[in-house]
Order: sequence, then structure tokens, then C-alpha cells
Amino acid sequence: MEKEQGMTDYYGGCDIGSATGKAVILDATGAIVASVIIDREIDPQETAILSLDKACAEVDGLDGCASLTYMIGTGYGRNEVPGANENVSEITCHATGAHHCNNGIRTIIDIGGQDVKAISVNDDGTVREFAMNDKCAAGTGRFFEAMARTFKMSLEEFSELSLRARKPIPVTAQCSVFAETEVISLLAKKHAPEEVAAGIQVAVAKRVFSLTRRVGLQPLATLTGGCAKNAGLVKALEKLLREKIVPLSINPQLMGALGAAIIARRKGSNSKKVRPERHYVKLISSE
Amino acid sequence: MKVSVNERGMVSRISDSAMRATYQAGNWMKLGLFGIRNGPVATLADLKKYPWMRNIFQSGKLLHTMTGTRTGPYAKANAIVISDIVTSILDMIRDMKKNPDTLVLHEDLVPPEILYGMGLTPWMTEFLGLALPLVNNTSMEPYIDAAENDGIPPDICSLVKSTIGLVLRNELPKPRAIVSSNMPCDGGMSSYTLIEKQLGVPIFRLDIPFDFYNERAITYFVGELKRMIAWLEETTPGRMDWDRMREVCEERNRFVELEVELWDLVRQKPAPMAGEPIYLSHLIYGICNPGRQRGTRMMERVIECAKELQKKGAGAIPNEKYRVVLWNPPTVVFPDLFVWAEQAYGVSMVMDMLTYNRHPFIDTSSPDSMLRGMAQVIMQGPMARHTRGPAENFFGDLFNLYEQFDLDMIWMAGHIGCKNTQALNGMLREKCRERNIPLLIIDYDLSDTRVVSPDDIRRQIEQFMETVMKAERLDGKGAGND
Repeated sequence: MEKEQGMTDYYGGCDIGSATGKAVILDATGAIVASVIIDREIDPQETAILSLDKACAEVDGLDGCASLTYMIGTGYGRNEVPGANENVSEITCHATGAHHCNNGIRTIIDIGGQDVKAISVNDDGTVREFAMNDKCAAGTGRFFEAMARTFKMSLEEFSELSLRARKPIPVTAQCSVFAETEVISLLAKKHAPEEVAAGIQVAVAKRVFSLTRRVGLQPLATLTGGCAKNAGLVKALEKLLREKIVPLSINPQLMGALGAAIIARRKGSNSKKVRPERHYVKLISSE
Repeated sequence: MKVSVNERGMVSRISDSAMRATYQAGNWMKLGLFGIRNGPVATLADLKKYPWMRNIFQSGKLLHTMTGTRTGPYAKANAIVISDIVTSILDMIRDMKKNPDTLVLHEDLVPPEILYGMGLTPWMTEFLGLALPLVNNTSMEPYIDAAENDGIPPDICSLVKSTIGLVLRNELPKPRAIVSSNMPCDGGMSSYTLIEKQLGVPIFRLDIPFDFYNERAITYFVGELKRMIAWLEETTPGRMDWDRMREVCEERNRFVELEVELWDLVRQKPAPMAGEPIYLSHLIYGICNPGRQRGTRMMERVIECAKELQKKGAGAIPNEKYRVVLWNPPTVVFPDLFVWAEQAYGVSMVMDMLTYNRHPFIDTSSPDSMLRGMAQVIMQGPMARHTRGPAENFFGDLFNLYEQFDLDMIWMAGHIGCKNTQALNGMLREKCRERNIPLLIIDYDLSDTRVVSPDDIRRQIEQFMETVMKAERLDGKGAGND
């Protein structure tokens, strides 16, 4: 679709994860004008459309996401983002997003819904090295969801509970199935819930620690992905890594989408390429 | 008369198709002749006794995979190598059937040259586990299952499990004797106890010294080889004929000379040869069937193809962007890995771990000098020197060839079942980081696609190429869209 003269350029990034869909829209100056996080739908394409539509609705003068000058899809569903000019790996996007927030960041730990990644970043925000665990649920957002369910709590309550512990009880957590059994058994034995919860945070932090060692921990380190909001995990990680986890100025769960939007702006403003509208298939009616 | 670019393209396409058809027909003819010479009834009985033989009839698929999208002399070199694999396997089966009295199963680090020198019929026990996944990447799964169902721990190397499964299912020929060694790994070494018991044949175990950089080790190992020869003379009808041994070693030296010439060629940029003609040719004639005239002829023809490309200033792959070494055993369950990587990113695989070794030429002046050379070949060869330490052997070779071949990155085939090399991965990461060498450790299993599928291997490579190498896709496909 040809853009009308005088219209502002907007750039989109859409990160389709296993648990949530995220979208970020930047204006021509690079300022964030919209950002959304939604729970995922079964169909990743539907998640992408819902998150993009919601983000576009926040921007005055943006007539739907078909009007974005350039858009990049990322995340595990990156091939399913309708209308995206291209897709980029979430590793690159998280690195770009985090570097944008703080250009001193050299190590990123991304704990998402279904995988954990450690990313080593160059001075310019490009990826130097990465390691990931996508074979095992232990240590991912899904694991925390299961653990919070065991405590009959929300994730926020679970995180707060773990912060109250004085002496965490060791939990194996080599496998999320066994960890859950172990936790139930510890709670049944009347161990203090906060200490069991803190034990879970430490167990996950240990797994993340070994992954981070693989890429070589360099300060500054930060945490991205949904689990970055888990203060108990941040505390356990800082203790194990002996390194402060630097908080980001922008919601860390949005890093993938933000990075995608930044790359979209770089590419879009260089090429002025018109987005392929034909790829944009509206799957759901805009009621 | 001027020929347009389009016409030239059409002519080369027709010529490539004709070449493929010729080799395909040649392979079918070999299979047909094998069936006729063996006799149809005997062939049917063999297929029943050795069900793995059915996979050989799928070799046409392998030829298509390796040459279908490749062109010119590079495609031809691939066809030559595939054709030789078919011949080699058929010859092995023929010899095994023809000479059951002289058949000796040998472990992959026991030199078959000595067995040839003694007039014996060698059969590398691990050969099927390495060769069959190339034509059918699920071919080893029934054998792996058989081994696991019989109590073999699931987490040991799948090549070992495949071999054990073949033995447990009585699908390996019964030999006159077995020769094994204490290399390359504990899993491999201990599997021979089971193989010995299951087959009920005598076994000789070569003791290969760990600390081999000294005269004492060489003398000791030469003594071991002499002990093995004496044992084989006692146990089998084989008799050492030093003149025959010399012929084998000299032929082996000629092959090595040609191989070194090929290495010199591929050091150029763009590399006029890459991929399978480098690593599969070594696998068949450097490791499984060394000292064969046919191997030397094959290598001459591969070099001819490389030189043809070199003359034109062309690379084996039309758009060489990256040069890579594949370290550790090759990903045989994903045989078209490099066909894909060449087209997707312009990756030229110019060297691999099994091919790259110290290659001391064997001094054929006396029986002792031959055994001495043989001892050095084994002790300082790949796997032996890499997996038994010190770790410097592993890194030294890798970084040496990284420089020599002017590589852009290292792909470590991180075979999940290989405890020895898994243990080195952490150090490898650190050392590559120090040297600023991009490193990809590919999680995969040598013989079992159920552990990591080819799609998953591809995904790992895509992520690395995109994020670390910042590579553009050359085939216009997005990641995950193959």
C-alpha cells in the first residue's frame, strides 16, 4: 500500500512467544508510541493480529497495522506475523532491545515461557554468543506457573512469598515434573512455604547460572522476558552470579518486540520499503 | 557463433542431468550385477538374514540428495564418491560372504592395513552404524532399541548401541576373530565384551598407550601390533606377508599424498572442493578401506574435478560466503546438511575432524618401519588423540586447521552420546572466545534422529548464522521456512 504524503512513519515489532504476544510501535524519532502484552491464543497468527491491532489502536493517526512503514516479527511464532516485512530471531531482538535501554549491557538472560537463553552482547548491541535451553521446561516461565499453582498463588504472590524466606530449602528442580512432586512433599511435611518458594527460585537460578557461564558472564547483566518481573528469582540470580542484575528502563517482557521495532525502524527508514499488504490476512473481525 | 548465458546455463543443466543419470544407472547396474553374481535366491536369503542390506538399495536417494542441486564438477565429485560408497559396501558384503574363514571384525581404531597384509578379510564393526544413516537416517533405530531393550544404558553413544543392536539381532556376520582396542571411548571399548560373548569368537585387545609423544610409547605399541599379528596367525588362517603389507601401505601413502594435494586446493578461496567429496572420501578410503587402489583412483578423480574448478577460478559452491570446519564425527543422520547450508548461507565445509589428521606417511623400507608408521597413524590419528587427552590435542588440531584453511567459524557436532567431547565443550567455548572465533555447538545424536531431528539441527544453525554471523539467507527463504 502506498503511503500518503505527509503521513508519519511508524515502525512495528511483534514478538509472538509461547505464553504471550507482545507488540511495540515506534514513531519516526524512535519513541515508543504504543506497546501491548496479551495472553497467547492457540493460533500464533491470531495472537499476532490481536496484539498488533491493540497496539495500533493506541496510536492516533495510525490506520491499523497495515499502515506501518516497516514491521518485523520475532519470537517462536515469528513466521506467523501477518504483514511482517521480515522476521528476525528473538536472540537478536532481545539484544537490540536491551542495548537500546542501556548500552552498557553485555549479558542478557532471557527467561521466556518455554525456553531460557543467555546472550553475550558486543559493544554495538549485536550478538556475540548465545546458549539456550529449549529442551526442558525446568527454569522457564511455564515452570514458575506450575509452581505458583502448587502454592495456589499468582506469580506475583509467589515471588513476594519467596522474598520473605530466611533459609531457602534446597529443591532439585532438574525436572519440572519431579520438582513439583518434591515441592508438594515438602509442603506436606509442613516446611515453611516461603522457604520452599525461595528454594525453587534458587534451583532455577542454578540452571540459569550454568547457562550464563557458557557464554561468559560480562557486566552489565540484565534479565529480560516475563520472568524478569519475578523479584525472588532476580535476588537468587544476583546471589549466584555475584553480579547485579541491572533493571531496564522499559518493561523487560517487551524487549523482543522493542528490539524488533528498532530493527524495523533502522531498515524501514533506510529502504522506505512498502509493506506487503497482501500478506496481511485479517483472521478476526474488528468488532 | 556466440552462445548466450541462458544457453550456457541450459547446456550445463543438461550436462549435469546426464552425469547424474549416468551415475545413477551405474549404481543400479552395480546392484543388479551383485544380485546376479550372488544369485537371486542367495540375495533374497541375504536380505532376510541382513535386513540392513535393503538400505543399500536406497543409495539412489543419496546420490540425488548430494547431486540434485549441485552443479558442474562439484556435483560430479559427489557422484564419484557416492558411487564408490556403493561399490565399497557391495565389495565388503561380497568378501564377507566369499571368505567367512578369514573374516575378522575390527574396531574402528584397529588398522585394517595389517589385516589386508595378512590376507584376512576385515569388517569394521562400526561401519554399518556410520554408513547406513547416510542413505536412511532412521535405519539404526531398530538396533538402538534392541540394545536399550536388552539393558544397554540409553545415554551411551548411539553408534555403540547401533553396533550392539546389530550383534544382538544376529545381523553382523560371524567372524573368525575380533580385534579391538582401548580406544576411542569407554562405551566403545566395553561394547566389545558383549560382542565377544554374543558372537562367541576369540578377541584380541590392542593396548594403545595414552601418553604417546615419546619413543617408549611407540616401541610399546609396535610390540602390541606384533603381539596382535602373532595372535591372528595363531587364531586365523591369516599369515603376514610383508610384501603384501608393503603394497597396502604404499597404496595408502599414495592416497594420503593425493588427499594432502586436495587440502592444498581447498585452502584457496573460494574452495574448489567442499563437503562430501572431502569427508566421505576419507571415511571410506582413509578409515574403512585404506590401502585400496580404488580409493586412490577415486581421489584422483575428485582432484581432477577440483582442478577443473580451480582453473576457472570458481568455487565448488557458486557463492562461497563462509568457510567452516565440522569438528567431531559428521552428522550422518542429516546427510544433506551441507547441501542445505551451501544454498541457504553460502557455507563451504572445507574440513572435518575425521579427515584432518597428522597423516604420517608410512615408511615401507622394513617390517619394523611399517609397524612403527602404523603405530603413529593410530596413536596420533583423530579420535584417539582427541578423546583420550590431553585436551591440547583436541584444541591444537582444531585451531591449527582454523588458521591453515582460513576459516570463518567452527561448527562443533556436539554428539550428545559422546561424553569425552561433551566434557571438552566448556573449554572449547572459552578458547574460542579468547581467540574471537565464532563457535556453534550443534546438539545432535550421531545415529538417532529421535533425539535431535534434522529440522532441529537446521534450526540451531539458522539461529547461529542469523544472530552471531549476521548472515543473509541466499535462498530467499526465511528462517524456519525450509
